[in-house]
Amino acid sequence: MLAVADLRVFHGPIEAVHGISFTVKEGDCVSLLGPNGAGKTSTISAITGVARATGRMALLGDDLTTLSVEARMRRGIAVSPEGRRVFSNLTVAENLRLGGAIQPEYVRSRMEQWFDTFPILGERRNQQAGTLSGGEQQMLAIARALMSGPRILLLDEPSLGLAPKIATQIFAMIRKLKDQGMTILLVEQNASQALRLSDYAYLLNNGRIVAEGTADTLGINDALMAELTGL
Amino acid sequence: MTLSRAQKRGLIGAAILAVLLIGIGFLTVSFGSRYQLRIVYGAYVNLMVVLALQVFMGNARITNLSHSAFMGIGAYAAAICVTPVAMKKISLPSAPWGLNAFELDPVTSAMIAIAITGAIAFLVGLFIVRLSGIGATIVSLAILVIVHSLFLYRTDIFKGNQAFFGIPQVFSLTSAVIVAVAMVFIVRMFRESRWGVALRASADDEVGAMSMGVDVHRMRLIAWVLSGVLLAVAGIAYAYFLGTISARPFYFNHVFLTLAMLILGGMRTVTGALLGTFLISFGLEWVRWLETGPAVWGIDLPEVLGLSGVMLGTVIVLTMALRPAGIMGDREIEDLVFRKE
Amino acid sequence: MNALSFGAEYALLALGLAIVFSIMGLVNFAHGEMIAVGGYSMVAMAALALNNPLIVIGVAIICAMAASVTLERVAFRPVRYADPTTGLLTAFGVSIILQNLFLLFVSPRPIAVTSLYFLEWPIEIGGLRISSLQLFETLATLFVIIAMMLFLKHTVLGLAMRAASLDFEMVRLLGIRANRVFAAAFLISGLLAGIACVFIMARRGSVDPHLGFDPVLKAFVACVVGGFGSLPGAVLGGFLLGAIEVAMLVMLPQSLGGMTDAFVFGIIALVLIWRPDGILTPRREKGDKE
Repeated sequence: MLAVADLRVFHGPIEAVHGISFTVKEGDCVSLLGPNGAGKTSTISAITGVARATGRMALLGDDLTTLSVEARMRRGIAVSPEGRRVFSNLTVAENLRLGGAIQPEYVRSRMEQWFDTFPILGERRNQQAGTLSGGEQQMLAIARALMSGPRILLLDEPSLGLAPKIATQIFAMIRKLKDQGMTILLVEQNASQALRLSDYAYLLNNGRIVAEGTADTLGINDALMAELTGL
Repeated sequence: MTLSRAQKRGLIGAAILAVLLIGIGFLTVSFGSRYQLRIVYGAYVNLMVVLALQVFMGNARITNLSHSAFMGIGAYAAAICVTPVAMKKISLPSAPWGLNAFELDPVTSAMIAIAITGAIAFLVGLFIVRLSGIGATIVSLAILVIVHSLFLYRTDIFKGNQAFFGIPQVFSLTSAVIVAVAMVFIVRMFRESRWGVALRASADDEVGAMSMGVDVHRMRLIAWVLSGVLLAVAGIAYAYFLGTISARPFYFNHVFLTLAMLILGGMRTVTGALLGTFLISFGLEWVRWLETGPAVWGIDLPEVLGLSGVMLGTVIVLTMALRPAGIMGDREIEDLVFRKE
Repeated sequence: MNALSFGAEYALLALGLAIVFSIMGLVNFAHGEMIAVGGYSMVAMAALALNNPLIVIGVAIICAMAASVTLERVAFRPVRYADPTTGLLTAFGVSIILQNLFLLFVSPRPIAVTSLYFLEWPIEIGGLRISSLQLFETLATLFVIIAMMLFLKHTVLGLAMRAASLDFEMVRLLGIRANRVFAAAFLISGLLAGIACVFIMARRGSVDPHLGFDPVLKAFVACVVGGFGSLPGAVLGGFLLGAIEVAMLVMLPQSLGGMTDAFVFGIIALVLIWRPDGILTPRREKGDKE
């Protein structure tokens, strides 16, 4: 589905990611794990086109590198970014409506579907998104991303700053999406939770991939995990 | 006093610029026609304004639009003090507070004008330094409008759009060159001083600078008042050379003109200020000549009023689009002459 | 009533400035030139002997909108994501260019436009004599404000514009085309300038290169007072400014008549010092993510 090769990401003059390659297969959930500053979010920004990057990126064989941010999203990428970034001055329903702006014909049905899945969002549909709790905002951010009916969902630190109980709920939601066949690229600091639902994972440190493998092969190496994730 | 490395480089840079200024001045005085002398003089006065503008805008990175007003305050204050009583009886017959009943020598008048402008700049500055970004720009705009309205309205003191005449013409191009050179040193040394460095750091990262214990407001106030004082000097130089002033030159057109000069050269550096001033001053003179519809190689070009304005605007827009930091960016002249460390 | 119609004019223009500022942080000083474009288009129509008032008004508004969108394309695209100062200076530059182009290609002197005089006649409501123009202006402004509110609340583009004022990048991350949002903002801004232009022309009856400068300066101030980038703030600021200005005209003795502007701007400066971010903007700590 998504193939990335020799990706270098820049923030101003600084190179944050030094030539990484990875692939995400259709229907898989792939995690990028690693400590703070490893280059995980930079990688996501490169895929969405927000950050300046070199290398090759292809979605279903289509080259992404020359496309604008909007065009990439329209090809079927959706993102729930780091920090969630819900539009706090808009209501829950308005946030979702914008999420579905590129597929307006499905807005109504998908919105109802989400309100069924998350009754709490339905209850607060006319409330400003800024008044929601962190966990609710995260649900909204994911729901908003899925309103566009994407081929692949990028999730950047969905559990960051959430109470463990809420984080578990979010991970349960991600598992459900995966079971429904959604292709997911997950960025997490919480490696153990992420590994539990990933088919494959890459470990990043200092802008390089230092290890990769299935959950089983990576999970065994506890010492490496501890060192890199600080857990 | 020991100088830091940056300050030593600053002195060298200022010296190079001074040599250039003296050179241009010398050439003009020796070989220029009366008309050219006037143009070069105008360029030097504008240079003073742009340098003064650089002190605040370049270091604090806040766009100021009120500079022409302060220049006007300086010019009028000096003019009112220095103009002979006999003249003032004619030009300002109904001036209040006995303003038309005294006269002072040019030096004292200049001192008073600088003090008045400095005091006003200080009072205004107390408020303006607390605002940031666009807010400060708007207030500076408000100041420009208020001062201009005062000039226009109190015709008994300022004569509004009519000429305030009879100011002794005590300045020559030579004096302007001397003042401009002094100003280059002052402005450059301020840039490299402890205050200037702190101010530039705060412009890059206000919260960071504050957490390091930099009193950003105080730094801005110092730069603002210094800028005001230098503008007063520019105003005085303007009045002392021309002998007549009116309110019109101290308004939007002049604001934009000088702003364009600073932007084109690059507001972050003194070298940029100087480069921009001369490029635009002489470029504009050439465009004005085109405007009058001269005959070139036997072809009579039509008269095109407004061409200079179009060029000025184009310069601003293109600079902003292509090189927002101006021609010089962060480089001073010594960085071009010597290798940057 | 005077205050209302002055205020309405400023509110229209301030709204046009605020909508552009809120999404791209650009203080569009060239907004006034849109008014002038509208004015000159009326001159052109008079020359073509097009005197149907509806056509005149319609074409003037369309011209202002077209000019606004063109400017976005040509001048403001390179500075789209630049800092506000760069944008402000660019807008200054554009404003100077346009004013001088009018000077160059049309005339430095005012040109009379008489096609809109029909809008002005005295009417009496409950014993009060007011001018029809003022009534039209107030009503049109109210209509526009309501229409804007509906647009921003109920259309995807409107929602995107509101969202963009908070986080433009996120809007793009939803696949919404940035170009379209910018174009819409400038289109609306031009529309508002066009409507203001109709009323300004009907009142003044002539157009000159600097026509738009003064009103926009005031509108600019209205924006700041209300809180830059806040649309309700712009409307509030506009009406407040109108009220202050009329109050000044009434209260100041005749001898101080020339000082109205000075007092108005003085009050504005005081308001800003009292609330540096404007009246309707919640106070924000420095360093908060914008």
